[in-house]
Amino acid sequence: MFVGVTHQLSGRRALQFFPRRGTPFSVLELLLLIVCIALAGVGLPQSLQDVAVLTFLWAGLALAWNIAGGYAGLISFGHAAFFGIGAYTSTILFVRAGITPWIGIWCGAVLTGAFGALLALICARLRGPFLILSTLAAAEVVRIGALNWASLTGGPEGLSIPPVPRLANMVFASKATYVVIMLLFLLGVYAITKFLEGSRYGYYLFSVRDDADAASAAGVNPLAARTAAMALSAGLTGIGGSLFAQYFLYLDPTFVISPEISFQFALLAAVGGLGTAIGPVLGSFLITPMSELLRSYLGSQAAGLHLVIYSALLIVVMLYFPGGIAGALARLAGRRNKP
Amino acid sequence: MSAIVTIADVSHRFGSLWAVRDVSFSVERGELLGLIGPNGAGKSTLFNLIAGALIPTQGEIVFDGQNVSHWRSHHIARVGIARTFQIPKPYRQLSVVENVMLTAFQRERSISRARSLAIETLADVGLKDYVDVPVTALTVGLLKRLEVARALAMRPKLVLFDEIMAGLTPTEVATMTKFVGGLPARGITVIWVEHVLYAIMKTASRIMVLNRGELIANGEPAEVARDPAVVKAYLGEDMNLA
Repeated sequence: MFVGVTHQLSGRRALQFFPRRGTPFSVLELLLLIVCIALAGVGLPQSLQDVAVLTFLWAGLALAWNIAGGYAGLISFGHAAFFGIGAYTSTILFVRAGITPWIGIWCGAVLTGAFGALLALICARLRGPFLILSTLAAAEVVRIGALNWASLTGGPEGLSIPPVPRLANMVFASKATYVVIMLLFLLGVYAITKFLEGSRYGYYLFSVRDDADAASAAGVNPLAARTAAMALSAGLTGIGGSLFAQYFLYLDPTFVISPEISFQFALLAAVGGLGTAIGPVLGSFLITPMSELLRSYLGSQAAGLHLVIYSALLIVVMLYFPGGIAGALARLAGRRNKP
Repeated sequence: MSAIVTIADVSHRFGSLWAVRDVSFSVERGELLGLIGPNGAGKSTLFNLIAGALIPTQGEIVFDGQNVSHWRSHHIARVGIARTFQIPKPYRQLSVVENVMLTAFQRERSISRARSLAIETLADVGLKDYVDVPVTALTVGLLKRLEVARALAMRPKLVLFDEIMAGLTPTEVATMTKFVGGLPARGITVIWVEHVLYAIMKTASRIMVLNRGELIANGEPAEVARDPAVVKAYLGEDMNLA
């Protein structure tokens, strides 16, 4: 009993600048939280509100992807399928059956969670490139299915949500409201991630990611752990998809189920730092504003140049900071602490 | 005395090769059973069968009164069989204590109590100075000890040690031998595969010899060492030690 208490105390040192696994808060996290709340609170100009909405949304989605990709080691390039299914579920329920998106979002989350579990049961035995290819293919199947099932999804013409601002419609006149909603989404996924990495279940995922045989010998069921991680990751991605639909008020399969969207989740998480809670957030905070700004400044004169710059940056990060931004910062913090 | 594990006519086939063939034996509670044999004799396969990493082609494995022949590893672990791996399989991105906590979760559900149990177990195998070290910083010898700590942290009824001495210095071998020898007194039954023969001959209460998948000897260490079939298996047809 005594031993347990002392270890718990020694594990929880004074407030640190950089977050460590298992500690509740760090200075960096608190600073970021204050900045986010300030951004949501002050009246940003219209164009920057767009950037804030996307930055928060992509951060939440990169975190959701990270639960499967970073914690459970299930590198998926098919998360656009979850994103799309979530977006379509709430939108179809709303447009065709008049069910409020406030309920539809949860239906989408359950459906995508189930789809994620199914995909994990089929694909989670595969490793590395085989898993990547099979998830990529699964998302393409969903995209082509959505294109052809026109009676339900509207096919290539897509679906529009009537732009009638009303709380029950989850459609708002002011973009500032969307900034707040996306921030709440981000905070929700962040809280889930923090809870997970400090809990027994988080450790189960780490063990399965690092060595499934050893995990199994320790009493962890690898398939169950992977399936649960994928289902949670998929369900959260589905919620993000619904929020995206409520913001853009328009969906078509090539727009929301494109491989580009799947890559985006994976890249933000990888640039920020796989398998950390703060990583995907830093990744999105750095890259989303930059890619939006590059797109708007360069888009008209040099179409596609923003993609070149974007890719070059990714290559640099992958080569020199394999642990992502979070890994580089942690190393820096470690060096400073040493005498 | 009652048997904790009974293996009855167990066979395992890889393609056309019988890696383990019609092996039968039982282990009493509190026994320290040594399992030896030349390379490729089927020792590791037999371990994998007991631990559930492989499913027997034929035969039955009964542990603690339950037929566990077709159980998967994680089920086997949950009823109290722990194992080490011949080639250590650490969780590379976790610290030393976190590696051990994962097996400790079988006993202690809360993080802080699992951590205490893990630290206690690490101290047992002489790793208490390495608690918060990244596992990648450990040498081969220390990784072997980590394997032992991981297996013991679940407080198993039966533990399977697979060559925990390979790569250790003579001093380390002596310490580890003494440690393993003390486990039966703590209520842990041990089956121990080892190539470092002097360690196992000295410590085990009984020795079994496996050759080409079949059990060729089973008895007191001294008796087994004199068995002509064993000598032949180890040294070849024409050697005469007498």
